[in-house]
Amino acid sequence: MALAEFLAELDELVRRANARFEAVGDEAALEAARIEFLGAKSGRLKAVQKGLGRIDKADKPAAGKRFNEAKQHIEAAFEQAQQRLKRAPGTGAAAEGFDPTVPGIHPPLGHLHPITQTIEEMKDIMGRLGFTVAEGPEVEDPWHNFDALNIPADHPARDPLDNFYLAAAGKGVAAEPCPSPIDLPSAPPPGDCPTCVPVGPPANAPAALLLRSQTSTVQIRVMERTRPPVRIISVGRVYRPDTADDTHYPMFHQIEGLLVDRNVTMADLKSVLRLFASAFFKEAEVHIRFRPSFFPFTEPSVEVDMTWQGGWMEMGGAGMVDPNVLRAVGYDPEEVTGFAFGLGVERICMNRHAIHDIRELFRNDVRFLRQF
Amino acid sequence: MLVSWNWLKQYVTLDMPHEELERRLMLSGLNHEGTREVGGDLAIDLEVTSNRPDCLGHLGVAREVGALFDREITLPPAEPPEGKTAVEPLIGVRIDCPDLCYRYTARVIRGVKIGPSPGWMARRLETVGLAPVNNVVDISNYVLMECGQPLHTFDYGRLGGRQILVRRPLGGETIEAIDHKEYRLEPDMCVIADARVPVAIGGVMGGAKTEISKSTTDVLIEAAEFDPTSIRNTARALNLHSDSSYRFERKIDPEGVDWASRRCCQLLLDLCGGELAGGSVDVGRRPPPREPIVLRFSQLKRVLGIEVPPERVRRILAALGLAEARADAASVEVVPPSWRRDLTREIDLVEEVGRIDGYDAIPEDVGVPMVASARTLDDRVVTRVREVLTGCGFDEAVTLSVIDQHASEAWSPWTGAEPLRALAPVLRGADRLRRSLIPSLLAARRTNETLFNNDIELFEIARAYLPRRRGLPEEAVMLGLTSGRGFREVKGVIEAVLERIAPDLTVEAVAADAPLLDAGAACRLELGGKPLAFIGRLTEEGRERFELRGPALVAELRLAPLVARASLIPTSRPQSPYPPVGRDLNFVVDESVRWADLAATVREGCGPLFEHLEYADTYRDPERLGPGKKSLLMRLVLRSQEGTLTNQQADELRERIVSACRERHGAELR
Repeated sequence: MALAEFLAELDELVRRANARFEAVGDEAALEAARIEFLGAKSGRLKAVQKGLGRIDKADKPAAGKRFNEAKQHIEAAFEQAQQRLKRAPGTGAAAEGFDPTVPGIHPPLGHLHPITQTIEEMKDIMGRLGFTVAEGPEVEDPWHNFDALNIPADHPARDPLDNFYLAAAGKGVAAEPCPSPIDLPSAPPPGDCPTCVPVGPPANAPAALLLRSQTSTVQIRVMERTRPPVRIISVGRVYRPDTADDTHYPMFHQIEGLLVDRNVTMADLKSVLRLFASAFFKEAEVHIRFRPSFFPFTEPSVEVDMTWQGGWMEMGGAGMVDPNVLRAVGYDPEEVTGFAFGLGVERICMNRHAIHDIRELFRNDVRFLRQF
Repeated sequence: MLVSWNWLKQYVTLDMPHEELERRLMLSGLNHEGTREVGGDLAIDLEVTSNRPDCLGHLGVAREVGALFDREITLPPAEPPEGKTAVEPLIGVRIDCPDLCYRYTARVIRGVKIGPSPGWMARRLETVGLAPVNNVVDISNYVLMECGQPLHTFDYGRLGGRQILVRRPLGGETIEAIDHKEYRLEPDMCVIADARVPVAIGGVMGGAKTEISKSTTDVLIEAAEFDPTSIRNTARALNLHSDSSYRFERKIDPEGVDWASRRCCQLLLDLCGGELAGGSVDVGRRPPPREPIVLRFSQLKRVLGIEVPPERVRRILAALGLAEARADAASVEVVPPSWRRDLTREIDLVEEVGRIDGYDAIPEDVGVPMVASARTLDDRVVTRVREVLTGCGFDEAVTLSVIDQHASEAWSPWTGAEPLRALAPVLRGADRLRRSLIPSLLAARRTNETLFNNDIELFEIARAYLPRRRGLPEEAVMLGLTSGRGFREVKGVIEAVLERIAPDLTVEAVAADAPLLDAGAACRLELGGKPLAFIGRLTEEGRERFELRGPALVAELRLAPLVARASLIPTSRPQSPYPPVGRDLNFVVDESVRWADLAATVREGCGPLFEHLEYADTYRDPERLGPGKKSLLMRLVLRSQEGTLTNQQADELRERIVSACRERHGAELR
């Protein structure tokens, strides 16, 4: 007999005996269990002991040692059960002096930020709809934040008062060389096309960097290095000058979806948004409404509403990718079309958790955080 | 844009309930913000997007209503009878800055009688939120609200030298506007001047000197077109925003300039009397003719996802004022009206047809093709890191990416380069893009201390911005944390993260010489000689720097190297069925001997029998161990894959390990 087999048998016996002795409720049951497991003639332990004789000679000492341990375990379980019944004759587990309402000992579990929980759920749903997460820098150049998104140089959206531009390089930047980052294995990100010539900013693009004002920048970066079809979502921090109050904060999170392929229409946009809303808000019967709107990077542009508690609730902005944007990344608008949509994470997060002040999200009071 | 129901009725039949009108307008692009009753009239508040300045007047809204409800539009008369005197000798106009003012027209009416406006006009203005002033001023406001073209009326008698000069301000010029405030004019603003001084801030506000007053008898009517960017900059610089500047910023109808001037004169003659001088002064450039646009009917299906019958397409475009030049079975060629500058491309017409036809017709249940999508490696690693941290009892924080100078200078272990700086603070003095998450987390720690919170165990996963010499900075994703636990416990959390993501990773712990960290409880983890993590306890000075009362530990870990080496789908190894054998070891060594080196020797000595080595403790006792000595306690667990280890085997192995440790580290068993 192999040692392993013998040991497994022993373990199983100990497990069963423990369960049995813990469960007995009176003396008679205890005695029956004792005879079954520890009976001198035909107890189950005795039966297993017989197997010891068939163990290979070399393994005998180990097997014997383990057998003795097992025997001790079972005997201890019997004694415990005996003690227990003595303390509370006839009453089973509801022993005197035992207070079941005393709380258990809690492991120290941390909490995920509500923004993270909201984003993760959104990513999850969009992932199931076939959208892959894409990331891009938060510090951007004007080409990706504006020009490629069909926001020309004289557009009001580029106003310094509406954006966080950074001080020009050279003015206080890089007093000493930065340490090079730890070398990473250089595999191209999935979806990259080696034969595709990347389309970058024009040579004379102005250099003033800024904190991105929208995650649409990621769409440009992905399309610049990928041939269609593209089906991505980008999530992240964006920055806009706003005085902090109950509903405004200069930093917030956006989630954006982009689908570019042949024959993508506004019906696809509506359908994807309906599936998303239905999954996120766990409503079987959701309808989507488009109201015309205006964004430079989509044409047509719409505001999206969904049915909610007998009325309509605003979800975010969306539209068909403007042909100028497709051209800016080297796509042919005669060949492909695409849709894009963007949702504000904070508003949805605050709505689902009944948070009334956006600043709470960034104050990090642990009492606040531990609610989620 | 406030719209008066009674006013709107003048241009288009309104026989529907106002709620129906509001709903249809909302679903075609004019968002309904609310409706208020004002003295028997309705003030309907519509949100007009920046691409639709044509709807910043009642006529524009009437055109939308006409297209939506298939109604004809009635234009008000704008053919004022002219007197015998020609305008030319009365006034000369010169544009010196054609980049700021594209076109300027002037008409003159002499002999007006200033008085209050008739009731119907005053009521309409009040409905849209404008207080009546006098008949002349009210008429110019009325026409602005009618067609969206801002107008200005000057007291002709107070204009010096029968001359209008459109120019940049001369050095140090100021003007008192009709709000009776003094404004300092900057070189890139556009002013309207008479022969001597500025009399208006072009397109923004008129001046007090030539304001229409009770004694005014002769009026000059200005209708012009100004450069939108210049108007925006001027209004911002002077913090002077008016109904005029609002419309010029969004671009007015270039063909509507003269119509508005005539319409204004018509009302002036009707309501204030006087005689209109013949003709008009009209200088500057004329808008080029609009280019025709071809709309292929097939594009509607391609973009909207629904068919719209060609007949309906053509009817919608015509109703919106697009002149049809040609049509066949496949396409239609149209010329957009001057007031729709936003229509220049085929896709713009697709949107027009779509929004008027109604987006409700677009189905919401088409089968979008399925594709495979996988979570990215970054995403999976970050999720796992979060699991470890919450499992270790840390709460997740989200802090602002930008910090103030003080916090930025206090702590920057990853780079010596100056931080990137925003030109304006993002929030209360915070203008430095953070080079580490630690200062923000310590600020959150302080917030919690002031709230008397216990167990402040916080982590955040976010980017640090490490400047590069050129181009965009490196945005390094960091795990940052702050804790009130002991150094070894915090180090254990970081080690647990490493083990959970990349179990086979070999990192080197070295003493960290980071400022603000206690040299006796701080280290740097290195990977291939490059820093991977910092862990340490703040010194007294460090706590003071961040205004903390209680003990504070910090740790920060770069995640990118972990992602690159992540092993999220490990390979199973067979587990030995044989029992383990444990041995305690207590080595006395010199202070300079490090645990990691001794442990490596022990491990190496075990060969394939090694299962586990657990650090137990370090003792120092100069009397018993000798000066400069310490004892390292550890528990070794051995196990074989091949059979049960005997005590003898284990003891032999232990002897070999002890002698190896003696040889390499001068270690003696205690």
